[in-house]
Amino acid sequence: MTALARTWDHLTLPGKALFILIPLLALLTTGLIVVIALFGKQILDILIFNLPIVRFVFAATVLLLLAPPIAFVIIYMEMKIIALMNLRIGPDRVGPWGTLLSTIHGLKVLMKEDFTPTRADPVVFTWAPVVVFATMALSVLVIPFAPGLFAQDFNLALLYFFAIGGLTVVGLLMGGWASFNKYSLLGGLRSAAQIVSYEIPLTLSVVGLVILAGTMSLNHIVQQQGVYVDATGSHGSGWFLDWYVFRQPLAFLIFAIAATAEANRTPFDLTEADSEIVAGFATEYSGMRFGFFFFAEYIGVFIISALTTVLFLGGWNAPFPFPRISWLVDPGSLGIGLLFVVALVPLLGTLLLAAPFYLFRSQTRWWVALIIGFVLFNVVAAGLFGLWAYINFDWVAGLFWFLGKTFTLVFVFVWMRGTLPRVRIDQLMGFAWKWLLPASLLNLFVTALGVLVADALRGGPA
Amino acid sequence: MATQTFAKGTHPSADDPHVLVEDDYAFYEPIPPYPPRTEREAEFYTLGDGEMFLNMGPQHPSTHGVLRVVLKLDGERVVDIDPVLGYLHRGVEKLVENADYHQTISQVDPLEYISSLFCEWAPVTAYEKLLDVEVPRRAEYIRVLSGELNRISSHALFMGWFALDLGGLTPILWSFIERDEIVEMLAALTGQRMLFNYFRIGGVNGDLNHEFLSRLGDWMSRAVGQVEANTKLLNENEIFVRRASGLGVVDQETAIRLCMTGANLRATGIPFDLRRTHPYSIYPELEFDIPTRSEGDSLARYLLRMEEVKQSLRIIDQCLDKMPDGPIMAKLPRLLRPRPGRAWAAVEGPRGVYGAYAISDGTDQPFRLKIHDPSFIHLQAVGALLPGNLLADTMAIMASLDPVMGGVDK
Repeated sequence: MTALARTWDHLTLPGKALFILIPLLALLTTGLIVVIALFGKQILDILIFNLPIVRFVFAATVLLLLAPPIAFVIIYMEMKIIALMNLRIGPDRVGPWGTLLSTIHGLKVLMKEDFTPTRADPVVFTWAPVVVFATMALSVLVIPFAPGLFAQDFNLALLYFFAIGGLTVVGLLMGGWASFNKYSLLGGLRSAAQIVSYEIPLTLSVVGLVILAGTMSLNHIVQQQGVYVDATGSHGSGWFLDWYVFRQPLAFLIFAIAATAEANRTPFDLTEADSEIVAGFATEYSGMRFGFFFFAEYIGVFIISALTTVLFLGGWNAPFPFPRISWLVDPGSLGIGLLFVVALVPLLGTLLLAAPFYLFRSQTRWWVALIIGFVLFNVVAAGLFGLWAYINFDWVAGLFWFLGKTFTLVFVFVWMRGTLPRVRIDQLMGFAWKWLLPASLLNLFVTALGVLVADALRGGPA
Repeated sequence: MATQTFAKGTHPSADDPHVLVEDDYAFYEPIPPYPPRTEREAEFYTLGDGEMFLNMGPQHPSTHGVLRVVLKLDGERVVDIDPVLGYLHRGVEKLVENADYHQTISQVDPLEYISSLFCEWAPVTAYEKLLDVEVPRRAEYIRVLSGELNRISSHALFMGWFALDLGGLTPILWSFIERDEIVEMLAALTGQRMLFNYFRIGGVNGDLNHEFLSRLGDWMSRAVGQVEANTKLLNENEIFVRRASGLGVVDQETAIRLCMTGANLRATGIPFDLRRTHPYSIYPELEFDIPTRSEGDSLARYLLRMEEVKQSLRIIDQCLDKMPDGPIMAKLPRLLRPRPGRAWAAVEGPRGVYGAYAISDGTDQPFRLKIHDPSFIHLQAVGALLPGNLLADTMAIMASLDPVMGGVDK
């Protein structure tokens, strides 16, 4: 017993974790195998019978699990890009180019003290970050990432998005009220005023788009911006001119501005204006509760960018029509040379890529050249594999374009944060009510009129 | 009056139903724990309908040091303010009375840690008047040269701070590049980055050296471009201009009544600059303009300071051109015993007039050294400027007046 205790004391923290986890995992695996062996048929039957629900649960789980990594990526982007704009170096210690720093930050807030101030309302104080994070994460569910890659597609997706997104303000108000701090209270009230004001132009600006599209399903809106086939025949040229940003430029502008305010980003980040109200609603938060607020903010940036991409920038559609090689070559016929590929190509490729380093640079040792060749071969192979996947799978191509566009917009958000000062609360409100709201109404009016005129010219409603 | 402590909730102002909600809530309000000492205090700590107190500082992220302001808010609009000073009080004026004349220089140095050279310059000039010393011309040129460099570094910091208080992240880091180069070259000249302790009674501590001159020449070749790039970031920014213009307007009469000096006064249109109106040192020999603006708002104060940076660059150019040879210190005994008397000296610093009023009783220590600091004078203006503005603008207005708490609290 003493020997075991001494061993336990000498173990490092990961060692202790593995010491517990490995037997636990072994037990679980054994149990799982037994359960599958005994009831596998029945379980499979139930799953197949409920396929849509299973699909939804699976996709939702994946998307919710993806939320923290997305936040990590955007936090890192923000740290690094703003650092470069500030002529600093930025994170460069943890991981290659400091890429792991935001992950480490995430772990750090998990380990910090979870502090509740005196006189704060503990229940509301605890639930506020959960509400904010949950609403942000729930909004991800309707976003179509690629053809077939979405959690749920239904006819009111856009309305659902705005409804759920509007719930964020409840969480912020809860946090601001329950903290027993006047800075928090001011921050919470500011966010309420701001989000309620900007919700109106945000929603009104897309009504024109909905009139044009005839649907609120985000999937259909994306499909209409590319080549698609319906009852009336094949539509769309496949070029980027089909995107709604070219049909609704004013709406795009209003949407982009209102979305910035909706995500509480600079120049509309009044709710957490550090030079005025310390950190706004998050002043009294620490530990993982603050982490929830922090993640929620960056997921908010992501979903707002994603929605802008979906509505105005063509979603998963490529900006140009791409000839499908998979239509010309049957991928199955490539199976003949599979053995050859698996056995010989890595070896030959490595040698081929290593040769120039060994032959033309006398200082390079043969094994260094081999390592370089191996790494290069892997890079080339990954590139080729990516290209192959892009050509063969719609969802890979879709994901590529969707994430490319979304992260370009995220970059714009970060860029604005690095460049612009903050507006004042009265300027913010005045801008929303005096400029954005009339402009969005004008856009709606012009769009509706245009649709009416076009229908009349074509002879009766379509 | 002795401080009298009260039990929770028994403060006289706690009788007001708006302040004391129930049991110990009043404990969390920024109300002083003693009965009101003046009518003004009693009036301030009584809340009207729909008003609340907000304690800002001394640990607020942007009060520029340890200023504490108790704000009386109506919603987000500031109704009244009560600044609480003294968190950085070190009793410099008393310390100076127990140090001999040379030692006082290092005592007054950290008063205003952003532009220390001007804090030294005024007392040193006052002592020189007491002693009837003629400062060598080379020393005067070096003083002007280093002083103008310090002025640029101070204004660079101001620009960054001002932008940061309006929510811009980038300008402070851009302007810090410039400031850092200046601070490094001043370190090469004086041995310190911020608290220089460089001026001496009758001259300066060290002659120009190679490192300083090479750094200076290197920087001067790109200074104009650097200043232009920094100011472009803000001057052409619509949000910044809309935030800053019309903010905290001071008219000429108010400015004179508040004894404002420096850029804050010149932004109202009065071309008062000690370097021209009461010339000292070698300024009469140099060519430079006194820029003024007529608006008197925060934007005018900011633009004026940026204009002054360009004038300072002109002065530095001329100083390098005309730099004479010769000694850098007047011949003085080790132990200074000025004749009994009084002397007033003032210099034009980046924040306004830095003054020193020295009284000598014939011993080797000053009998009294009164320091006139522009930050303290300008901070008085916030009482007139802040009420009626929004909470977001309080920090911006304070930043545009450019106070440094070290100088305010002395």
